[in-house]
Amino acid sequence: MLFAPVNLELKPRQLALLSGANGTGKTTLMEAIAGIRLLSAGQVQFSDNNSHTWQHHSHYLGHKLGNKGALTCAENLAFVAQINGLDVTERELSALLASAGLAGYDFQQASDLSAGQKKRLAVCRLLLLNKTFWLLDEPFVNLDHAGCDWLFQLITAHLDQGGAVLITAHDQQNITALAHHHITLEPA
Amino acid sequence: MNRIVKFYHELGSPPSFYRITQHWLKPMLLLAVLLGVYGLVEGLFFAPKDYQQGDSYRIIFVHVPAAWMSLFIYLGMGIAGIMTFVWRMKVAEAVMMASVPIGALFTAITLLTGMLWGKPMWGTYWDWDARMTSELILLFLYLGVMGIYSAYDEDPRKAARLASLVAIIGLVMLPIIRYSVVWWTSIHQGSSISLMGGASGIQDWSMLRPLLVMALATKFYYIYVLLKRAQTYLMKTEQNKQWVKNVVSPHGAQEVSS
Amino acid sequence: MRFWTLLRRDVLVAWRKKSGLYQPLVFQLLVVTMFPLGLGAGAQTLAKISPAVVWILALLSTLITFEHLFKDDYEDGSMDLYYLSDMSLPMAVLAKAMAHWITTGIPVILFAPIIGMLLHLPNQSFGILLLSLALATPIFSLLGAVGSALTMNLRNGGMLISVLVLPLMSPVLIFGAGAVLESTLGNSAQGHLLMLLGCLVLAISLAPVTTAAAIRINLE
Repeated sequence: MLFAPVNLELKPRQLALLSGANGTGKTTLMEAIAGIRLLSAGQVQFSDNNSHTWQHHSHYLGHKLGNKGALTCAENLAFVAQINGLDVTERELSALLASAGLAGYDFQQASDLSAGQKKRLAVCRLLLLNKTFWLLDEPFVNLDHAGCDWLFQLITAHLDQGGAVLITAHDQQNITALAHHHITLEPA
Repeated sequence: MNRIVKFYHELGSPPSFYRITQHWLKPMLLLAVLLGVYGLVEGLFFAPKDYQQGDSYRIIFVHVPAAWMSLFIYLGMGIAGIMTFVWRMKVAEAVMMASVPIGALFTAITLLTGMLWGKPMWGTYWDWDARMTSELILLFLYLGVMGIYSAYDEDPRKAARLASLVAIIGLVMLPIIRYSVVWWTSIHQGSSISLMGGASGIQDWSMLRPLLVMALATKFYYIYVLLKRAQTYLMKTEQNKQWVKNVVSPHGAQEVSS
Repeated sequence: MRFWTLLRRDVLVAWRKKSGLYQPLVFQLLVVTMFPLGLGAGAQTLAKISPAVVWILALLSTLITFEHLFKDDYEDGSMDLYYLSDMSLPMAVLAKAMAHWITTGIPVILFAPIIGMLLHLPNQSFGILLLSLALATPIFSLLGAVGSALTMNLRNGGMLISVLVLPLMSPVLIFGAGAVLESTLGNSAQGHLLMLLGCLVLAISLAPVTTAAAIRINLE
C-alpha cells in the first residue's frame, strides 16, 4: 500500500490537481487510472462502468513521453492518429506541429529534438486526439517559459470546451488556482 | 462431500494452510525416512543381482524414482501455476514456487545418477538418447522458471505470476519437446541403447518392490519439503499480516519449534 | 488497419536503426569463421556438419535480437500508445512479431545460402534449407516475442531470454535441421517440413495470447 485512500470525482470542465511528496505514488495512481497498471486496492469507476469506454475517451501523457526516436515528428504523430483510428493529412500535421512551436520539424527525427521539443511533440498528441479526459503527469517539466504558457492555454481551452484534466504538477501557481479539486497523497 | 469442499477452501487461505499442514510435517518426514531407508537397504543390499548388469544396476533405485519425481513435480508445478495465473491463489503460488527447486534437484539427481550408471554400463558418462536429452531439457525448463522468478526481485508477487506463466508454457511444450526428441533419436544413427532400461522391464517382484518403495519414499519426501518451503514462502510474502506475527512471536514459539 | 500501422512503424524503426538488421548477419559471419578455424578447412568435415551449423547459426543470430522487441517500447513509453488503444493486445503482438520477422527473419533466410556455401553444404540441400528457414523464422520471432515480453522490465534480460526460449525452440531445431540433413542424404524432407508447419501453426495460435499475458503482468 503506497498511499492512504483517496476519493475523487471528476466531472467535465473540472481540473483536479494531484500533489504529494516524491515517492508517494502520484505516477502509480495516474497509471492506474489510465489503465496501464492494476490497483491492488480500491477502484476506479467511470460514469458508465466500462473501462474500455474510459480508455477511448481519455489520454495519458506520462513521464515516458512515448515518442519513437527513430521516427520523424510527423511520423510519430501519424502513428498516434492511425493507431487510434483517425485519419490525418500531412497538412494537418504540419499545422499542428507549427502551433506547437515545432514548425519545420516535420521531417526531423524525434531523437534529434531537445528535451523541451520532445515534450512539445508529446503534447501535440493531446491536440491530435482530442479526448475528453486528459491525464497529465508533470507536463510542465522541460518546457520553457513560452512553452508553459502555451500548455496552460491549452488546458484552459480544453476545460472551456467541456474536457476534464487530472494533473500532477509542482510549483505551478496558475494550475493550483485553476483547480476544482486538490488532492494531496499521504503516505499510507 | 461438503467437508471435502470446505477442507479445500480452507487450504486456500494462507493461515489455515499453515495451521493444517503443520500437523502433516512430522508424519511425512517419518514416512519418507522410513520408506527411504527400507527401500535403499533392500535395493542396494538385498535385491537379487541382475543377470545382465550384475550389481551396478542398483542405481536405478535412486535414478528411476528421481526421474519419476522430476516429471511429477513439473506436472504439479504446472497445475499450481495455472491456479496462480488464473485465480491468483496465494497458496497455489507458494506451492508452485516451493516445488521448483525440489523438481530441479530431482532432475539433476536423475541426470547425475544416469551418468554414473552409464559409465560402468556403456562405457560413457553421457549419451544423447531420448530420455536423457529430454531430461536435460526439463532441467532447462526448471531453470527458466527459477531464473525469471529471481530476476524480478523488487516485486515478488509479479515475479511469481511471470514464473507461473513460464511454468504453464513449459507444461504445454513438454509433450511436444518430448515427442520431437523421441522422433529425433529414432531417425538419427546413434545410440539405440536406453540408459534407463525402463522400469517396465523389471519382472522380478523382489526387484520391483524396493523400486516402488523408493518411489513412495520420494513422494513423501517431496510433500514434506514442499510443505516446509511453502510455509516459509507464505510467511515471507505475508509478513505484514497478523497471522504471521502470531506464528513468529514468542507466544507462538512452541508451534515453530515443534 | 491498426495492425498494419503498428507493423509499418516497427519496420520503419528497424530500418532506420540499421544495426538491428546487420547484427544477426555479422554474428553469423563471425561465428561461421570459427568452425574451419576449429575443425580444419577439410571440405568433407564441414559439409557433414553444415546442415546443423547453418541452422543453429540462424537460430542463435535471431536470439540476440529478441531483447529489444518489447523493452524499447516499454522504456520510451510508446507501448502505452498501442496498449491503451482499441487494438487488441494479441493482435499488436502479432504485428510486432511479423515486423520482427520481416526485418530479422527474411535477411537471415536470404543470407543462409551464403553461410551454406561457406560450409560446403551439398548443392541439393539449398532449396530445403531456404524452405525450412522460411517456415521456422516466423516461429523464432513468435517465441522471441514471448521471451521478450517476459523479461520486458529487466535491465539485462538477454541471458534469461536464452534460457527461456531455447528449450522451446528445440522441436523447431530438430525438425528444421533434420529436414536439411535428410536432403543431404538424398531422402525426402517432407515429414520434417510438415512438422515444422505444425509448429508454426501452434506458435501463431498460442504465442500472441501468451505474450499479451506476459505484457499485462509486467505492466501491473
